[in-house]
Amino acid sequence: MFAQQVAAAQPLLIGLLLLWTSYGKLTRPEEAQKTALPKLVGEKRATPAYRTVGAIEAVLALALLSPPVWTAEVLAAIALGVGFTGYLVYAKIAVPEASCGCAGTAAKPVGARSIARALLLTATAAAALTASQGWWSAGPATLILIAEAAAFVVLSPELDRYWLLPLRRLRIRLSHPLAGTASNAVPLAATHRLLLLSPAHRAVTGFLRSDIRDYWDEADWRFVSYTARYDGRPATAVFAVPHDAATPEAVRVAVVDESSGQTLYRPALLSLAG
Amino acid sequence: MDVMYGLVGEASWFCCGNAWGPCASTGTGACATCHSGNMQHAWTNTSDACYAITRPDQCGVTGVSRRTCGFRHATTNLCNGARIVTSIADCGPRTRSFCGERACCGGTCASNRVMDLTPAAFTRIASLSAGLIPAGIDVG
Amino acid sequence: MTSMDRRALLTRAALGATGLIAASAMGSLAPEAAFAASAQVPDPGAPDPNFAEGLITGRNQDLLQVQGSDGRLHKIQLTGVTSVWKLRPTTIDQARIGDGLYARGVKLPDGVLAAESVWINIVNLDVMINSIGRTGLNLDHHGQKVVGHVQEGITAAVYNGTPAISDLSMLKVGRHVQVIGAWRPGTNEIDLATIYAAN
Repeated sequence: MFAQQVAAAQPLLIGLLLLWTSYGKLTRPEEAQKTALPKLVGEKRATPAYRTVGAIEAVLALALLSPPVWTAEVLAAIALGVGFTGYLVYAKIAVPEASCGCAGTAAKPVGARSIARALLLTATAAAALTASQGWWSAGPATLILIAEAAAFVVLSPELDRYWLLPLRRLRIRLSHPLAGTASNAVPLAATHRLLLLSPAHRAVTGFLRSDIRDYWDEADWRFVSYTARYDGRPATAVFAVPHDAATPEAVRVAVVDESSGQTLYRPALLSLAG
Repeated sequence: MDVMYGLVGEASWFCCGNAWGPCASTGTGACATCHSGNMQHAWTNTSDACYAITRPDQCGVTGVSRRTCGFRHATTNLCNGARIVTSIADCGPRTRSFCGERACCGGTCASNRVMDLTPAAFTRIASLSAGLIPAGIDVG
Repeated sequence: MTSMDRRALLTRAALGATGLIAASAMGSLAPEAAFAASAQVPDPGAPDPNFAEGLITGRNQDLLQVQGSDGRLHKIQLTGVTSVWKLRPTTIDQARIGDGLYARGVKLPDGVLAAESVWINIVNLDVMINSIGRTGLNLDHHGQKVVGHVQEGITAAVYNGTPAISDLSMLKVGRHVQVIGAWRPGTNEIDLATIYAAN
């Protein structure tokens, strides 16, 4: 008797699930282009095919949710589940980067979870085969659907942002795994950015021939050198950036001759300011 | 710099053309012509579908014109005055993910990410390791 | 001159402790003019002959063989004045077979690119933070998983355009960030250099 009721309850879950999956396909049919459909049925036919699948899902969902109880509806749901599974396996092999296009409007690639979900849908539909009554007379067996729905949620990458991400966020709020990374050391990225925004860099930018060649710290300064050319001669441009510099104006620069080591150029205004 | 630009914002770089590493699966972009070694760029408004992804208007950047594949833009690095002309080969960047980011150079400030250049183009005006520069953009 | 002596010399020059030999009047040479002088700009949409991209397939002393993703083959000459980036500025011996690279330089008449700057394995990705661990970040790059490793002393974060800091504790799960990093060849893993977060 209870088994009968469990079977009878299944169409409610399948119906709701299919309503959700059809919604995305009917409201955003252009998403079809991101799926494996263009490869399977051709680019032109992808969007109509996607919309048609959505319409079939919606019609079947409404049929499952409303009386009368027909075994044909359940058979159609099984066929749909088998079809989805086959299509997803094909998509994963043929166009691995393609969007699943399964449910909702989020574009997620086909993964093991999507395939497992299609299998679960097939199994759920198969479980409904023996039903002789509608879900509205399933009684307490309807509660089983909560566990099944939870399984569908866990297998839906589209829904991760509603439960998995908040869970991870909570864990990180309680104790951030990277809390120990703070230090007084000035990252090169900070020096680099200050240097790039500085008048000193602007004054010599036309002479620079390379990206950063070398960098080192001495006392309260970080030094950064670049390969340069000055007046046709090989040279090195060397910047001095104070560790505690608040503004790019504090950056200094000199251009040094590669062979003689003599200073060829130092922007006049900048050296006075220093 | 007393030049007026059609659009001022941050510029970055991206790889395309089924190259090495994480770029292996990116393909040749929305225009099917994109290669990291070519003088090209991505534009936030190449089609309705593209604009739906980038949404610069969500950061308050309005009036980004609809431009299609091959259209030319000039990008000037506001920090050093270096300028390059490139053509559209892809859709991007996702402006809406980085609203409010700001960088200033020589008295001009640039907010929001509006331009993505190929490595070949970006390295003509800036360093790849810097990643992000304030830029002025015009029709090229 | 050893590299230590050289750094000492450059340190003094940068701080203004050395005399100038050339007239400061040279300062009137505007950077824009210098750029214009080095022009010979490639057509928009076309490949730049002074740029190379690809995987290193061979190395003979300081001459690299590179297979471009667009099918072009490049020969790239590294020299003592070539800048090399591999997670940080480093030396030319760090360019290995199997590494990916971008190089800018001057194309010589014999077809060899004399490299001025080389960036090895550098990636610039727009990703979402899926989860945060003690050693790094799990990232989602347009549906593909990428593991980002934190490197002590190198990895830095830029929060909303403020100066980069080593403190990564303000990163949040579910947020989009842009990361500059160095790809580990043959894997979906990167070492993190700079993380740009807009909060």
